[in-house]
Amino acid sequence: MLVLFETPGGFALFKVLDEGRLSNVEDLGKEFASPDSARKMVKLKAFDKFDNTSEALEAVAKLLEGAPSKGLRKFLKANCEGETLAVADSKLGNVIKEKLKIDCVHNNAVMELLRGVRSQFTELISGLGDQDLAPMSLGLSHSLARYKLKFSSDKVDTMIIQAIGLLDDLDKELNTYAMRVREWYGWHFPELAKIIQDNILYAKSVKLMGNRINAAKLDFSEILADEVEAELKEAAVISMGTEVSDLDLLHIRELCDQVLSLAEYRAQLYDYLKSRMNTVAPNLTALVGELVGARLISHGGSLLNLAKQPGSTVQILGAEKALFRALKTKHATPKYGLIYHASVVGQAAPKHKGKISRSLAAKAVLAIRCDALGDGEDNTMGIENRAKLEARLRNLEGKDLGRLSGSAKGKPKIEVYDKDKKKGSGGLFTPAKTYNSAADSLLGQTSSKSVAEDSVEPSKKSKKKEKRKNKEVEVEDEPEKEEESKKKKKRKKAETETEAVEVAKEEKKKKKKKRKHEEEETSETPAKKKDKKDKKKKIKD
Amino acid sequence: GGGGGRGEGGAWRGRGSDRGRGPGGRRPGGRGPGGRGPGGRGPGGRDPRSKPGGRAKVGLNGGSKVIVEPHRHAGVFIVKGKEEALVTKNLVPGESVYNEKRISVENEDGTKVEYRVWNPFRSKLAAAIFGGIDNNWIKPGAKVLYLGAASGTSVSHVSDIVGPEGCVYAVEFSSRSGRDLVNMASKRTNVVPIIEDARHPSKYRMLVPMVDVIFSDVAQPDQARIMALNASFYLKTGGHFMISIKASCIDSTVAEEAVFANEVKKLQAEGFKPAEQLTLEPFERGHACVVGGYRMPKKQKAT
Repeated sequence: MLVLFETPGGFALFKVLDEGRLSNVEDLGKEFASPDSARKMVKLKAFDKFDNTSEALEAVAKLLEGAPSKGLRKFLKANCEGETLAVADSKLGNVIKEKLKIDCVHNNAVMELLRGVRSQFTELISGLGDQDLAPMSLGLSHSLARYKLKFSSDKVDTMIIQAIGLLDDLDKELNTYAMRVREWYGWHFPELAKIIQDNILYAKSVKLMGNRINAAKLDFSEILADEVEAELKEAAVISMGTEVSDLDLLHIRELCDQVLSLAEYRAQLYDYLKSRMNTVAPNLTALVGELVGARLISHGGSLLNLAKQPGSTVQILGAEKALFRALKTKHATPKYGLIYHASVVGQAAPKHKGKISRSLAAKAVLAIRCDALGDGEDNTMGIENRAKLEARLRNLEGKDLGRLSGSAKGKPKIEVYDKDKKKGSGGLFTPAKTYNSAADSLLGQTSSKSVAEDSVEPSKKSKKKEKRKNKEVEVEDEPEKEEESKKKKKRKKAETETEAVEVAKEEKKKKKKKRKHEEEETSETPAKKKDKKDKKKKIKD
Repeated sequence: GGGGGRGEGGAWRGRGSDRGRGPGGRRPGGRGPGGRGPGGRGPGGRDPRSKPGGRAKVGLNGGSKVIVEPHRHAGVFIVKGKEEALVTKNLVPGESVYNEKRISVENEDGTKVEYRVWNPFRSKLAAAIFGGIDNNWIKPGAKVLYLGAASGTSVSHVSDIVGPEGCVYAVEFSSRSGRDLVNMASKRTNVVPIIEDARHPSKYRMLVPMVDVIFSDVAQPDQARIMALNASFYLKTGGHFMISIKASCIDSTVAEEAVFANEVKKLQAEGFKPAEQLTLEPFERGHACVVGGYRMPKKQKAT
């Protein structure tokens, strides 16, 4: 019978020398009390070493799922012909039996045997001492633990913190070197500093031309715009800078190379940061953007630390100096910190920035917690919240516009539908359409009541054609407008009602000016205003 | 008039003081936005004399003179100042595992030794030692299988005790705690973290050799069976065990003593020889610690 024994170094196959003793389970332990007696019981037949930790991890992981790995299968096939195999796990035994047709056995005797082997296996396996085993076991356990915990090295936020630190450092360095190039080359060609404002273009130009004498011959079209190039060439001829030797130019050129390579690396680093942010914290990135997200994580120390902060903290992270100063002197605390640079806050009007920053901070902490502690890999939550925030922003701005364009206050009250109502148009929403004789042509009409009415109207109409600045005209305009608007009032009541309306309108006029109701009234109000102004002028005069 | 004015002045002052405290209350997240890197409570960790997060010890303040003497059990020490505390020698000097206090003492030859305070309210093993168990089998150089390692706070102290020659195999099933355990184990090379269910010891058979002691703090109703299974795999003949039994976890309706007696019987049936039982009062309520041997060789009768 063979015994399969797994060690952190590899798989071991022992041959049981004395199978008779197996029947006496209790005394089996005694057989393994000393290395010599152990060697009499079992002998190492074969040992399959793991080549490296990753192979070990793979083999062991498969073993834990209950399946033999390829290496194990090969090993067993090579060594287990015609023997029964004692295994520690009955499930594994079944699978081995199925796949490799090797009989497996698992019972108390086997357990005792394994116990014994385990207590002596450093002696039984000659190549594997205690000292070798310990680091192997440690390494394997850590890899296994990481595998179990689904530790993904992509999701480490230390990279983000380092990357953003490096980005800031790079910016500073780039600026320092670029300034140095300007200063140094300015000895030779001072006018160039004013002609080319951008640092990178400056460095490129300097690199291309070297000595300013070469400027006339060379073509700067890839680097500069045409006018700038022309300016440059002009200035090169009449420059008041000193001459510099080739060696100096060589060094200046080297410095320019440095500047350009740093700039290129900075672009690469930014791309790297963006990709890392999308892996580590996709929801936060969707909400505030990569740069702001990375700064928040870096400020908080780690993503998990940041997840423990409340929304109000995240809102003013980065403005601690202002915050504590305000708290000490009992002034207003700052409304935003690092969050100010998020695009949503940037889009808002200045007076809404505070509100949006607070809402954004509240959603941002949810996104951070989702990323730090949740299992999701996507950014759906971040995108949803971003949509909500943008809706809120629109709402906030909409409120302002609404205030300017008028509100429902002062609009005629919409009456409740009552089918039995007798007044007005009864149960109808809109009054029944009646013939509007006001639209009739009025030429050649004889005087009758209707004619009288009609005559009143044309007179009114004619008066309407007069200058509207006259207040009386306005009073008479209104009944006309009422009729024209032909809302709930019936024509027979028109006159009386218009008079009543007149009075009401006068009262309304006397009240503070309200929002526009109907088109006629809006056209009225500027007229009213003008009228008032005229009145005032008259008084003053 | 005057009295009323004074009353008002007093009231105003009261409100003013409230206002003074108010902004303090509004301060966001304590020292959170300090941005001191992933050190968590950075200032607490860096300063060895700072107060720990748990119960702040009144006596052992920074700068006070203390004497360190070895405990009866090897590997454990007692620090005596205004108050006494149990400490272990820090295997990784300069680092706190769970923001516990650290004490640096200078030897006669000038070398500094650092000790970490062991809180008996947080660790069952410390509570047992404080309570006065006769034999502590967790000694320097021992191999210990620790079931129920949680975040590794007690495991770190066991690792301190067994030292670099010994080894601690810490088994913990929960992923959250397991993460902390792995982090702690990455700093200490004598801790082997195992993220598996202790109910299936065959799952970590390729990582654990025979051990000298098994310590179990799993708080499960079938503790005894778990212990027995693990012992049959890994505990050497003549090895020892320590198990912390929580009465309410096994059976909350029966009296504590009955629960403990039951568990002891179960253990005896599995080949364990319980040698002593100790209650963990006043540190834990309803807990007992049972220490004993496994498959002890029968004493030869002197003839």
